Amino acid sequence: MSERVAGAIYDLGYQRYIGERLGRSYAVRSLLAFSFKTAFGVGRGDKSKIIPVIVAVAVYLPAMFSVFVASATGAPSAVSYAGHLQFTAFLLALFAAAQAPELVVTDKQHGVLSLYLSRPLTATDYAVAKLGALFGAMLCLTLGPELLMFLGRVFMSTAPFATFKAEWGKLMPIFGGTILTSAFFASIGLWLASFASRRGYGSAAVIAFFLLVPAVVSMFRNVTGGDIKRYAVLANPMLLIVGFANWLFDIQARQRTTIARADLPGQDYMYVMLAVCVVCVALLIRRYRRVEP
Amino acid sequence: MPLISARELTKRYPGVQALDNLTLDVDPGIIGFVGANGAGKSTFIRILLGLLAPTSGSVSVLDLDVARHPLEVRRLVGYMPEHDCLPVDVSGTDFVTHMGRMSGLPFAAARERAAEMLRHVGLHEERYRLIGSYSTGMKQRIKLAQALVHDPRLLLLDEPTNGLDPEGREEMLMLVERTGREFGIAVMVTSHLLGEIERVCNSLIAIDAGRLQYSGSVTAFTEETERLRIEIDDDVPEFAAELRARGLAVEEHGTELRVSLRDDAVYDVIRDVAAELTVPLSRMEITRHRLEELFRPADDHAEAAHV
Repeated sequence: MSERVAGAIYDLGYQRYIGERLGRSYAVRSLLAFSFKTAFGVGRGDKSKIIPVIVAVAVYLPAMFSVFVASATGAPSAVSYAGHLQFTAFLLALFAAAQAPELVVTDKQHGVLSLYLSRPLTATDYAVAKLGALFGAMLCLTLGPELLMFLGRVFMSTAPFATFKAEWGKLMPIFGGTILTSAFFASIGLWLASFASRRGYGSAAVIAFFLLVPAVVSMFRNVTGGDIKRYAVLANPMLLIVGFANWLFDIQARQRTTIARADLPGQDYMYVMLAVCVVCVALLIRRYRRVEP
Repeated sequence: MPLISARELTKRYPGVQALDNLTLDVDPGIIGFVGANGAGKSTFIRILLGLLAPTSGSVSVLDLDVARHPLEVRRLVGYMPEHDCLPVDVSGTDFVTHMGRMSGLPFAAARERAAEMLRHVGLHEERYRLIGSYSTGMKQRIKLAQALVHDPRLLLLDEPTNGLDPEGREEMLMLVERTGREFGIAVMVTSHLLGEIERVCNSLIAIDAGRLQYSGSVTAFTEETERLRIEIDDDVPEFAAELRARGLAVEEHGTELRVSLRDDAVYDVIRDVAAELTVPLSRMEITRHRLEELFRPADDHAEAAHV
């Protein structure tokens, strides 16, 4: 026997694995769960946690403030559901810019993607799992605070049962609004990031999209008029959320804002968002089907 | 049941013939898969994994048609790619556990087997460190661990000794040999260095420019490629002619003759010829063709040193 040296292989024999082997859907769920944790920087270095923590604090703090005010004063709404959703949109754009590349670009850059594709799952499964992870993470940042506000209003009020009866009609818009908004940012962010070869490029692409597109649209609106000018609002991703949230929670757009001037039917905002989601998901899946590992 | 069975497998890229009409049957064991860089080894492995569709022909792994059951094949196969394939900011144990789950192991089992495999490859101490801080040798080992974590029936190792120093190569080859012999897992290991892997393999496949050059046992391959190098001072053409007259295959290289070493009787023939022509032999040596030379015998200048 040779001497035991550093890094030597210890002889403990090999045991075959005879337990159960789960299927493809389990692999997809495992990847989704793993990526969901990655989206918040769990199990990663401290640097990966900065943006998720900032965004989480920024979205939960107003919600908690609202609950606190409700409990202290009995006034029902310090922060409105629609207001919170509109405010969250900007943070979701930031979150997408930081974390969508973390989910897909690093896998490609370091070759981990080819390892995934040599396991029993397809390229489409991979794309779906990553999208699910980012969507789930965003849902935590949108639905979570709104539900907190809802529960706060109900249980901090003097007559919880009566308040619930009055408020429960808001539950549908809360779920619908946060789900569609999360899907909107997740699908755009992940699709844009899937082209980047480095994380920085992916982040830059997502940020550029959410900053440049509104700027271009507003320039375009300045040189046109009539119906084209009105409908151009729908090309601005940030205004889409505002218009959508207004319609969803039945709020009149503030006077003299772009949305009020455009005066479009509220469901138009939703249709455009749905269409963008569908197109981005389709493009994302097509993108991964073409990857040659 | 053959481990791998390819039938007229062809893969064409625009302008490149990566695989050309490959037909072969491979039995379980440790299989060396040799060829120069760009000979089509990685293409063949990607087709085996169902990641790449062949232009024509078919291949089956463990009796499963790869084109029809790619996921089932990948469930039974462990793959260690040649290139970098590791995340940076994940710990060794988290990564191998995750890869075990990707192959269908429940969480607890994946965790347990990840620990076992990390111990097997000698990374037990470093398992909680981030992979980004690993050395090249450690990275190669964790690549092997992730390929083994789900207890595959076949292990595909693409150039596992790449980038390692001589000691690291030796250790990696020992790991490969142990995995194949003691674990009972069939291993196919590719290399562009024949000399390195032939020691640990019991069968060999050699390809060049996508064409099959050899498929069979290592011993037969060694016999086929072994040459006896004879140096004599003069009368080289006469000596060569006499050897040929007695049925030996002879190549002339200046004052040097190379004789195919079929069996030990070759030595007797050379001795007899030298005695008859009274030509002194100044040197006799067994050599091996270099892999490249074997594939391109026209190249006269290549030195027939060791592989």
